[in-house]
Amino acid sequence: MMYLKLPREDFDAFFKNLQEYGKIYGPVKAGSSAYNFKEVTTLDEMDLSYNRTIVPPKKFFVGLKEKIFEFDEKRAEFREVIEDDPRKVIFGIHSCDIHALKLLDKIYLEDMADKYYLERRRNAILIGIDCHPDEHCFCKSMGTSYATDGFDLFLHEISDGFFVRVGSMKGHEIVAKNKGLFDPVGSEDIEEFKRSQKKRLDEFKLELNLSGLQDMLELAHNSQIWDEYAEKCLGCGTCNLVCPTCRCYDVIDFVNLDITTGERVRRWDSCMLRRHGLVAGGLNFRPTRVERLRNRFNCKGSLLEGMLNCVGCGRCTVYCPAGIDYVEVLRKIAGD
Amino acid sequence: MERPKIGVFSLTGCGGDQLMILNLEDVLLDLLSYFDIKDFQEISSFKEDSDLDIAFVEGSVSTKQDLRKLKEIRARCKMLIAIGNCAISGGIQAMKNGQMEILERMKRVYGIEEDIYGVLEPKGLSAYVKVDLEIPGCPIEKEETLRAITSILHGDMPDQFDYPVCVECKLKEYPCVLIEKNLPCLGPIIVAGCGARCPGLGLPCIGCRGPIKEEANAAAELEVLLSKGYDEEHIVNLMRIFCANFGEIKKITEIIRRRSGKGRQE
Repeated sequence: MMYLKLPREDFDAFFKNLQEYGKIYGPVKAGSSAYNFKEVTTLDEMDLSYNRTIVPPKKFFVGLKEKIFEFDEKRAEFREVIEDDPRKVIFGIHSCDIHALKLLDKIYLEDMADKYYLERRRNAILIGIDCHPDEHCFCKSMGTSYATDGFDLFLHEISDGFFVRVGSMKGHEIVAKNKGLFDPVGSEDIEEFKRSQKKRLDEFKLELNLSGLQDMLELAHNSQIWDEYAEKCLGCGTCNLVCPTCRCYDVIDFVNLDITTGERVRRWDSCMLRRHGLVAGGLNFRPTRVERLRNRFNCKGSLLEGMLNCVGCGRCTVYCPAGIDYVEVLRKIAGD
Repeated sequence: MERPKIGVFSLTGCGGDQLMILNLEDVLLDLLSYFDIKDFQEISSFKEDSDLDIAFVEGSVSTKQDLRKLKEIRARCKMLIAIGNCAISGGIQAMKNGQMEILERMKRVYGIEEDIYGVLEPKGLSAYVKVDLEIPGCPIEKEETLRAITSILHGDMPDQFDYPVCVECKLKEYPCVLIEKNLPCLGPIIVAGCGARCPGLGLPCIGCRGPIKEEANAAAELEVLLSKGYDEEHIVNLMRIFCANFGEIKKITEIIRRRSGKGRQE
């Protein structure tokens, strides 16, 4: 790993120079306490001290709702729709969301790579930024509070600028092109970086005990706890849509008025919605909210090659209109 | 190919759903050219009493005359499509259903005891006849309607919204008005398809597209709004504006009536 210092007075120039890598998207305030990744052209449009965005950065790689191809039934032809310029810079991504993207990479890129995802992923620059946990963050428990890879550059704020970690070849290229903006790190900077990391770890209040979680979930299959929460649950799908690791999508065809041409669209789906379990012939393999809720928690608690399907970002708890607390549910399941 | 014969009819309602079809101005002529129109009051006084492939019906069944007309339409058509909230569940004119006798309502509104209209408690079409497809909204969304008709012309049953407004609200990245502003938003129980128009403007969903049938958890929505400090009668009245004939909401009304002991059956 290469470590550098970006002095505060160079921050603006650094930001501007990133524009050559594509449009820049950063955290922008969207409500009294809500943020979204939006296109930005200046530093001050962003709030880099944000806690979390409503929709996670997976939206840059799997579109919320995107046309994947157009078809013509008469000619029996189809034409894939790929973004003209997939290059983009995601500025200010948090460690938990970086971990979530690493998980999505496994799903979308290993074995049969999803070409839409691949194209966007390899054309995106990820600039990470340090954050401070609020009462809903439990990434420390999930082992995702610190990213050792999966980013191009990672910025850690120190008193007179940023302590920068270079995490990829693209990161090295950016640094090489902007040589004049970076300084080598001094022993003072290293000490400050270490102190700030320790301080940050001490700020975490919420913890989740992961020990035996998969067994606890399996043993709770017939638990009353699912019924209790299913009664509170509105089945609105918000938890899935704001989750950085949920990746179910739905595919629909729309025909144009000429009844010949049309388009195939994919959009984010949610396992909390009734149709998710509906298959041909009208069978629904998860007909009730109890089953859907239990399935969601089991999915989040399961392991994908050793990686948990949850990164502790807290979004599902924060944005649940019914106020269902994810950590509280898992604690009850484990009997804590 | 012979063009499908269609009719567009109104029962008790404002006519807004027919108008939304006409509002498809950019494609209207192309769209209508696919059909042999036998009845479409908002377009023309021309009417031909023939069999129909598709009948689009807006408005609620609120009078005996509506019911007669509906049964005639059903007997004439192969496919019956209810368009708009009135035709699906009775609409806003049903908001007092189960709370006040219909003749009492007539007396309060028109000041007469005599039933000169042959009134019925307002209900949607499916309370009386088989309905093949429902296109929700107050009024219907023109894009959704166009897509539904296009699907049918293509030989498919349309993809229907079976998820709540919250889904669209999230996909549009709107801040949640329920969480951020404590507004009494009905989005979690109401059928999507509007693109979360009201929450996008910072306003709560008032439920004009109706609840997700046999799925919406109205009891949980009531609990959420109670926890935000809203009065239960206010919440139930809010839900009843567009959804009074919905089973879950009828149940809630009954529970609250008993709980408050106010005997709201006036």
